[in-house]
Amino acid sequence: MKKKKVNHILWIIFMSALTVFMLIPIIMMITTAVKPIEEIRSAVFHLLPQNFTLNNFTDAMRAGTWNIFFRNSLFITLAAVVFSLLFNSIAGYAFARLTFRGSKVLFMFLLIGLMMPPQVTMLPTFLIMAKFPMMGGNSLFGAGGTGMINTYAGLVIPLVAGSFGVFLCKQFYENFPRSLDEAAEIDGTNKWQTYFIIYLPNSKAILATLGLLKGVSVWNDYLWPLVMTNSEDMKTVQLALTMFKTDGYIQWGQMMAASVLVVMPMILLFLCAQKYFVQGIVTSGLK
Amino acid sequence: MAKTSNTVPKVRKNDNCAYIMILPAYLVFTIFILVPIGIVIYYSVTNFNLYSAPEFVGMKNYLTMFRDADFLISVKNTLLYTLCTLFPQLFLGLMLAVMLYRKSKLIPIFRTAFYLPNVMSMVCMSMVWLWIYDPTFGLLNSVLKYFGFSVKQWLQDPKMAMFCVVFMSIWKSCGYSMVIFLSGLTSIPDSLYEAASLDGAGGLKKFLYITWPMLRPTTFFLLVTGIVNSFSVFEQINIMTAGGPLNKTTTIVHQIYRRGFLEFKMGYASALSVMLLLFSILITVLVFRFGSRGQDVDVS
Repeated sequence: MKKKKVNHILWIIFMSALTVFMLIPIIMMITTAVKPIEEIRSAVFHLLPQNFTLNNFTDAMRAGTWNIFFRNSLFITLAAVVFSLLFNSIAGYAFARLTFRGSKVLFMFLLIGLMMPPQVTMLPTFLIMAKFPMMGGNSLFGAGGTGMINTYAGLVIPLVAGSFGVFLCKQFYENFPRSLDEAAEIDGTNKWQTYFIIYLPNSKAILATLGLLKGVSVWNDYLWPLVMTNSEDMKTVQLALTMFKTDGYIQWGQMMAASVLVVMPMILLFLCAQKYFVQGIVTSGLK
Repeated sequence: MAKTSNTVPKVRKNDNCAYIMILPAYLVFTIFILVPIGIVIYYSVTNFNLYSAPEFVGMKNYLTMFRDADFLISVKNTLLYTLCTLFPQLFLGLMLAVMLYRKSKLIPIFRTAFYLPNVMSMVCMSMVWLWIYDPTFGLLNSVLKYFGFSVKQWLQDPKMAMFCVVFMSIWKSCGYSMVIFLSGLTSIPDSLYEAASLDGAGGLKKFLYITWPMLRPTTFFLLVTGIVNSFSVFEQINIMTAGGPLNKTTTIVHQIYRRGFLEFKMGYASALSVMLLLFSILITVLVFRFGSRGQDVDVS
């Protein structure tokens, strides 16, 4: 089978070339980040830096309060992930296992959230946050203050809504053996205990998957923080990145250095938890 | 506690605790998705500007829309973006998936590499491509110069800007389609291919008569979600071109953002949002009607 072997080697060469081609932009990002400014702005182009430097990183981090930006992003991401997992999985359990009047209709309603581009409700959601009663100096009728604008709550709470999470958890719990519930019932647990003692500890796979998808999307989110915040203190890393781009002049080196740092957590997360990522994408694709 | 009666109740009782269990998720969903849909429809018939109380103006916003050149261009651009991004991205994703569907130790490496752009933020990737497209220092023009071609203006060129954004978006998202197609491929039973081999079918025939029809549901799913996603394109536009040059890359969501949050015409921006909602529903319904035809591939 010599022909097969030749074919395989050709395949490897072709795929490797394709991989390099796909990764060029990412390689560019990293190499530009470690190039000195003169080299970035020189007429002769080199793929690899001739003089390696880390100045771009230090300059970029000094250009703004990056410790605050990173802290904001981290906090928002973690909070959104934790709350959305808890809320959505318990709702998914109720829809999958409990009988209650109106469950079908309520679930159908929830699916609206899957079909609609989230930007449709961006405007009114912003207004709701701005007028939220008793928040940020607002009166009971939502007047007078700034509501939840520029607050963590305003950035996190709308992101907790997740039709997709409820949907996926419901699917997942429906595949649990019924005998588990029955055994629990015989032991005299109520529904809450069944969920917290039996279902929750056994849903690590789905929670990891959902958590990763949510985490990546919140960390990478740009539009919602852009709309909800206007103070330096509340900026997320994605918003902060645009500071290197002012009218007509772009700090390429610093921008790429900051991009590398912003992207790095997601790359590491992806490489460590690839299994769950792929699983998540696949289950979401084959509902 | 253990008063296990032997009589099984005929009618299952209503689990009232379920309402409390779904409450948190449902509350957030209602306040931030259902209610806003109502509000956005209400504001779309007012002249709300964030500072004074909304005043009912009937269909005026909707009528203005059809005379608003910026909006009409944005609809055209959004459709152009959707068409030019979605189909090449699906095609590439399918090709990559087919090429990766074999046994080799290298598969995870290739798969990771192709999917990697997808986990990175659109902001970072837009920045990187902004640099690649840069007319003076960018990679693309450097390569062109090296081979003796004349340099291009890329994102500053009204004729090219949209296609530059499109190309970048295809690059970023084809890995996603690939992963979904790969999972679709693994669900096709091997027996089909074996039977086809016995009948003497070659690679191309196998693809056309087995792989492609069997992947129909997968393609359908990617098409629907892809349309909704493409319709709401914003981030790369706002960062790479800000809608320019000459409004050649402005999109519907970009117009909503501009009218609403930069010009504070909340009423008008709401009307645009309603249009976006209607467009999405319309296209989804169309795809469902069109796509559900011949869905049933008979395999036993």
